[in-house]
Amino acid sequence: MTPLEELLFRLADDEYVIAERYTEWQIYAPTIESDLALANIAQDEFGHARLWYDVLEERGYEEKDLLWERDPEDFRHSTLCELAFEEGDWADPVVRSYLYDTAERLRLEALVDSSEPAIAGRVGKLLSEENYHREHAQSWLERLAEGNESHHRVQAALDRLFPHALSIFEPGEQEKEIVSQGLRTESLDDLREEWFEITIPYLESLGLSVPEPEEVARPDARGRDGSHTADWFDLHESFTATYHELGFDQPTRLRGEGA
Amino acid sequence: MIWEVFRQAKPGKYHQHCGNVHAPDREMAKLFAQIQHGRRMQTNSLWVVPQEEVSEVDSDEAAFGGATDKAYRWAMTYNRVDASFAAEVEESEEEQREAAKAQEEA
Repeated sequence: MTPLEELLFRLADDEYVIAERYTEWQIYAPTIESDLALANIAQDEFGHARLWYDVLEERGYEEKDLLWERDPEDFRHSTLCELAFEEGDWADPVVRSYLYDTAERLRLEALVDSSEPAIAGRVGKLLSEENYHREHAQSWLERLAEGNESHHRVQAALDRLFPHALSIFEPGEQEKEIVSQGLRTESLDDLREEWFEITIPYLESLGLSVPEPEEVARPDARGRDGSHTADWFDLHESFTATYHELGFDQPTRLRGEGA
Repeated sequence: MIWEVFRQAKPGKYHQHCGNVHAPDREMAKLFAQIQHGRRMQTNSLWVVPQEEVSEVDSDEAAFGGATDKAYRWAMTYNRVDASFAAEVEESEEEQREAAKAQEEA
């Protein structure tokens, strides 16, 4: 796998898998309005995944090998994206989206001047949608943090998700080349530092306590190397089930898609 | 709490009522309105207004007009009128037609 491919898989898989999880809230979110808002965010993330997978397709990959027939061990997303939600706990998607979308913006900004035109050319579109995602997550966070029970739930979600969020910045095998070739103009370490500088003071300002990044117990699975939590294998099985059940040998295309 | 939403499609156009959203406060109302009412239709601006701030007068308490024939107030009532009953009107229309024709030819 080339450094470019590694970078693209990290980007695409993150977006695809977190969107796949968000859709589980359809019809279960606390109000119709929040249902629509999260569904909209999921749709955006699916669209972003499509943009990155397309770049891989331009380099010879086929869609079925990118998603439907790829081994679950070959996915490179952060474990934050794959975790099952605590049932009925709205604080979970809110905290998850805040942690993810803050990191996402930083990483997209580090791709604006990518040496790869196929990446640099796509970033603007994505960045314009990310503002809404963060605004949505923060609006909810600020309100949930004010309540009593909801504050506890947010804290519990943060404690549970934070160690997994650190895997967003877990380097892959080709991290050095990704930076030295200018595919991404900042290292993951720098991005992580910036992410700490934004998220930690903000979360603390809401009266939350943020786990100490260097001391918090990290899960064994880091995602970026293909190691994943059990939740991922369940999710992978469920989103590929229809494809296999119907015996497709090619993914179906939407009418007009790619026309 | 219910917030009424008004959408403006393009700058300079009127904001038109397009529905409402449930939200606990103004910020969340604006956030939800963007998705519910601004995502699929062309949108330049949204107004989001607490429902109880909208004042209403309805037909139970007011006579809104239209009870008698007021067609004489509409300019289009005077299109294609046979002007021969008044020479000065006929003349004036003839002049306008000629002016328009001259302009077209120029």
